[in-house]
Order: sequence, then structure tokens, then C-alpha cells
Amino acid sequence: MKEGIKSAICVLLLAGCVASGVFADNVKLSYMYWGSPAEDEATKQALKDFEAANPGITVNPLFAPGTKAEFDAKLKAMSESDTLPDVGYFRPESVHEYGSNGFFLDLTTYIAKDNLKKDYLAQTWITQNGKIIGAYTAAEAQVMYYNKKLLQAAGVPLPPTDYTKAWTWDQAVKYWTMLTVDKNGKHPGDSGFDPKKITQFGVNHEVWSGMLYPAIWSNGGEVFSVDGKQILVDSPATVQAIQRLADLRLKNKVMSAPGSTEYQSAGSTDPKVLMQNGQLAFYISGAWEMLDFAKMSFPLGVGALPIQKKPAQLYISGVNVVYKTSKHPEEAWKLQKWMMTPEKTLNLYAGGLWMPTKASWYSNKDDLNKWLSNPAHPDGFKAAVVDSMTVARAEPIGIKNYDQLWAEYINPELDKVWIGKASAETALKTAADKIRKSGLLQGTW
Amino acid sequence: MKLKKETLWGWILILPLTLGLTLWVAFPVGVSVFMSLFKWNMISPAQFIGLENFRFMFFQDHLFWQSVSVMFLYTLTSVPLQLALAFSMALLLNTKVKGMGIFRTIYYLPSLIPVMVSTALWMFLYNPQFGLFNLMLDGLGLPTQEWLRNPDLVIPSLVLMSLWSVGNIVIIFLAGLQNIPKELMEACTIDGGNAWHRMRNIVLPFMSPILFYNLVMGIVGGMQTFTQPYVMTNGGPSNASLTYVLHLYKQAFQFSKMGYANALALVLLIVTVLISLIVFQSSKSWVYYSGDKK
Repeated sequence: MKEGIKSAICVLLLAGCVASGVFADNVKLSYMYWGSPAEDEATKQALKDFEAANPGITVNPLFAPGTKAEFDAKLKAMSESDTLPDVGYFRPESVHEYGSNGFFLDLTTYIAKDNLKKDYLAQTWITQNGKIIGAYTAAEAQVMYYNKKLLQAAGVPLPPTDYTKAWTWDQAVKYWTMLTVDKNGKHPGDSGFDPKKITQFGVNHEVWSGMLYPAIWSNGGEVFSVDGKQILVDSPATVQAIQRLADLRLKNKVMSAPGSTEYQSAGSTDPKVLMQNGQLAFYISGAWEMLDFAKMSFPLGVGALPIQKKPAQLYISGVNVVYKTSKHPEEAWKLQKWMMTPEKTLNLYAGGLWMPTKASWYSNKDDLNKWLSNPAHPDGFKAAVVDSMTVARAEPIGIKNYDQLWAEYINPELDKVWIGKASAETALKTAADKIRKSGLLQGTW
Repeated sequence: MKLKKETLWGWILILPLTLGLTLWVAFPVGVSVFMSLFKWNMISPAQFIGLENFRFMFFQDHLFWQSVSVMFLYTLTSVPLQLALAFSMALLLNTKVKGMGIFRTIYYLPSLIPVMVSTALWMFLYNPQFGLFNLMLDGLGLPTQEWLRNPDLVIPSLVLMSLWSVGNIVIIFLAGLQNIPKELMEACTIDGGNAWHRMRNIVLPFMSPILFYNLVMGIVGGMQTFTQPYVMTNGGPSNASLTYVLHLYKQAFQFSKMGYANALALVLLIVTVLISLIVFQSSKSWVYYSGDKK
């Protein structure tokens, strides 16, 4: 009996050792992200693939959809209760503020060890005081979409796809005018044209902060100085670009009511749906719209953005970070690397949601085919968008108080411009003067 | 002094309420008042800055006075209109018409719809391109409006929306109307009084406590309006619908200025208490409680 008990205890102890040994190797990470239901599905798949390729690591997906304010509130709650995730998305406008409070792991040594810098686009890395605190999740850009059927019906030539040979602004307005039709078949400028009875609009241009940059930059204007110490939104070139955008609706009558300056509000009709219904010909928004367009059944085309003085493009994206509080920084870095590797998370790129940050995926023919040769990406996409990334400039999120300057000073004035209550000149001058007095221009992080 | 058993039971039975009030009302309010003296962005330690938040609020925050004026404009238009409309509806719903039950249900239903749902619904109605209101205006040959995109129209739009859900106030008024002694109404009629006399001398005095209650609740609620502007316009256009609480929320969660937000909350608390006190004081002259010595 005694022998039996002794051996039983030995077996149990051994089992215990083995079991705890196995559990000790099992690292648990959590990954926080947001997005549409389609993005949720795609992300979960990418995380599962990571687990399969890295036995011993499990990832807990934390899906956090909602507005920026909700994300911020959730993050603060997690930080107060010491339950921050290991890796995840972060809002680009707040990444520097949190970074300055030591929230994120300094990735410089990890990147150097894996010699990653040369593989990725230069704009990918978010730096602060010489440290790399994160990487852009993707490389999104502004895209001009159109409904081929509507153009063919109106006899409008398809826009050029070479981003250096795009339509001029006047040409674009001319074609948008041909594509704007009222109930009686009249176009803007025809006698008897009724702007209140338009059944088909020529264009809809998103007007939230990020979406204004390409038009402003294309006209040679600026919003902030590069060092973040000056506000330049009232410079003549910027004013002209903004007024041109407002005139699309006010003077040219080719644009449907713009979305809010802050977000796509419920109750305003989704331009993508309008395009599918044949009520909108052109839509200028971000590259991420392709994921939803891919589910629609009309012939989608992509053209190069109209050029005012020179070609311009925007680099905009959410940010991926590794949190400093992570208990497993090595494994967290592995996960971060995985999510940055297009080969491993192909569905997110081929589906039209993301554009890659890996440099070779813009130049290497095979890599390009991997994410572009599918129905989600129309033919003109490479020449109009992918190639234009060579002139892309990043949204200047490194400027201190960036979010507040847009939300509290610039956007409220722009609200008046879009409905014609103020000219771009007076509105932007008011905004710029208020900003200069506010003391919020404090340079960059 | 020995605690009598009754007294002890008394204390035990009110314990849940007092605990709740202390933990979930008094304590957070106290912390909030305390934090209003700090600068705190929730991710780094709080810094004591004394009355700096208040100085900034009154002298430098260009949106503080804007949000105060929006709050007062909204409250001073929506509350009287809501009370007048609810009272009129209650009077109509108190008549002896066939199928009154159906009418009462119909007019009460909108107040049951969750705020988010009705907000989304009204946003569609107000859509400048495809919304029902502009369609109707156009049909009548009147100029269409920008509604929520026009800074001059956005508060009237919100007020109009608030009038749609007066159902619960109507029910309270209705209950009050049905408590008016019929003999008094008949006595007035016999004495030669018409509807106006009945209204002025009987109905209104009897309804005054309920009017008073709804007035105070309406003012306090109006001053705290947040959901509708947050969802519909996010304070726009041009901050024309930036109510006080929305401004507070943005300062706290969008710009991470928790200390300043607490200061804003304290000011709102003081103003609300002051206004309520004024209304309570005035009530002595116009509110009639049957059972009081007159």
C-alpha cells in the first residue's frame, strides 16, 4: 500500500512538473483593434494564423469598435486598472501624447536586431525623441472612385490613371458638371437647371481633416509649418483650395451635401450606396472604402486625383504599438511583426482594406500581384494610387495639440464654408488668428 | 441612551439608500470637486494647479461661453414649449371622445422609443437632400433648409425633436387633470363661468404642483442635454449645438483634460442648484397645494 501511494505521489508530482512546464511555455498575449465586422473577421483570422505558426503563444483578440472618444475612454480605464493589452491599434492623433507618457515599448533595438528598417516604407515608423514608438498599421491613401456605367452613359472619358497626368481641376469640374443631372435631364449651367431636383451628382469629396490635405498640397498650400510652430491655413494657396472644394457644391452644383467635418454621421446617405444606385458618379475618399466596394456589384473604376498645381497624395493610417506594460515583450514584438507582414496577413490587403507598409510590395511584380490582382482592386489602382505613394506625405500627427487644433478651431470655421455662410478666406483667417492667440502651437513631439 | 429596536430598524432599512447615495453620489461628487483643482490627463500623475481651471474657463476658453449660451437657449426654448404642448395635449386627451385610449397610446408611444433610435430617425428626416422635411417644404413651394448643417437652425431643430417625445409629461399632466374634483368644475359652470374661467381658477391651480415639478425636471434635464447633439451634430456646425455637457465630455475624453472637465461639472452643479432654488422660491407665489392653509 505504502509503495502504491509513494509511486502515485511521484507520478502526480511528475505530471505536475510536466503540466506546469507546458503552461510555463504558453505565453498569453492580447491584441486590441477596431473596425467594421469584416475587419474583425479578417483580424481574427490573422491572429489565428499567428497562433498556428507560433505554438506556445495564444492571442486574445480584444475587438473595440466605436468612436475615437470611446476608444480613448476604454484605454484610460484599462491603464488605470493595469489591464492594458500587449499589442494593438492606436489612434494616430493621440499616439504622441501617450508616447510621451511612456506608454509604448521602444522598438528601436528590436527593429535593428531584425534589420527591418530597410524593408519598409520610410514613413512607416512613428518616432519620438529618437525612439520608435510604433508603426503605421497600413499605408492608406486618398482615392478617386467612379462608377464606369455612369461615365459611359454620359459620354465622359474615363479619367487618366497615371497620377502625374491626371485631370486638372477645371477639367474635373467640367466632367463632373456633365455628370450632374437634374430631374429634367439638365446640367448645371443649362437654363432651367434646378439644383434642388438633382437626381445624379457628379462628385462627393470627403471633407474631414485628413481628406483635405491632398487638395491643399496639390495647390501648393499648407496647414501647419513642418516644425509645428506656425499655422498656415490662411495662406492664399490653402484658401483657394478650400474655396474650390466648397464651390463644388455652392457654385458648380456638382456635389451632394458633404459629410460632417468630423465623421460620417448617420442620416447622411453613404456616398458608396449613392454610387451603387447610380446617383453619384465620383467619390473621393480613402483606400479603405474598397473593402465595402468589393461587396457591391457595379463596375468600379479608380482614377488619378485631379491636379491643381502639382500631384499630391496623403499617407494616413491608424498606428500599431507594443505597450510597455506587456509582460512578454519578445512575443509581443513577434506578433507585431506578423501583423506587419503582408505575406502572413494577405486577406487584409487583398480584400482592399489595407495597403502594405512593406516597400517591396510596391515595386516587386510578384508581391504587387499578390495584393492587387483581384476583383477588389480595379485596374487603375496601381498607377493612380500605389505609384502615387512616392509623393505621399504623412498626416502631420506629430504636431502637439493636433487633434484639438482641428476639432476646436479649424473644423468649426470650415462648417460655415461648406454651407456658404462664410468665404474660405474669412473663415480660415478667423481660425488662424484664434489659433495664434490660443497658445496651442507648441511645435512637434 | 440605548438605541430602541425601532430606531435600529430604521437605520438598517435606510442603509441601502444612504450607502448608495454616499458611494455613488456624494463620494464621486466630492472627488470631482477635489479634482477640479488639478491638471490630470489620466495617463500621468495629477498636478495641483489650484484655481487655474476656473480662470481658464471664465477668461480663456472661447467655447465655455458658447456652450453656456447654447445650453440656455436650448433650455429656455424647449422647456416652455414642451410644457405648453404637453399640457394642451393632456387637456385634449382628457375629453370624452370615443377611442380615447387609442389616442393616448399613439401620443405616448414616441416617448418609449430609445433616444438613439429616435435620434437616428430624426437625422433622416432632417437630411437636406433626401429628408422628409425638405421634401414637404419643396412640395409646398417653400425654400428647403439645411437643418442640422445650418448654425442658425440647429437648435430649433433639436427643440422640435424634443417636442416629439413629451409623452411621459403628458401622462403626468393627464393624471393630474383627472384628479380635479368634478364638483368644482360643475360649480363654476353653474355660476356662469366659461371654459376660460374654469381653466384659470380651477384647472391651473390644481395643476400647478405638477407644472412646477415638470418645470424643475425640464430645466435640470434641459441643462444636461447631451445625447442628441452628441449623436446628431457632435456640437456642430460651428459649435452651434455645443451644449454644456457635450463640451464637458469632449474636454474629458477627447482632449484628456479631466481636471478641467471636473471644474466644468462643478460650475454646472452650482448653476443648476441656484436656478432650482430660484424656481422653488418663486413657487411659493404660484403653486397651490390643496390641503395647505390658504
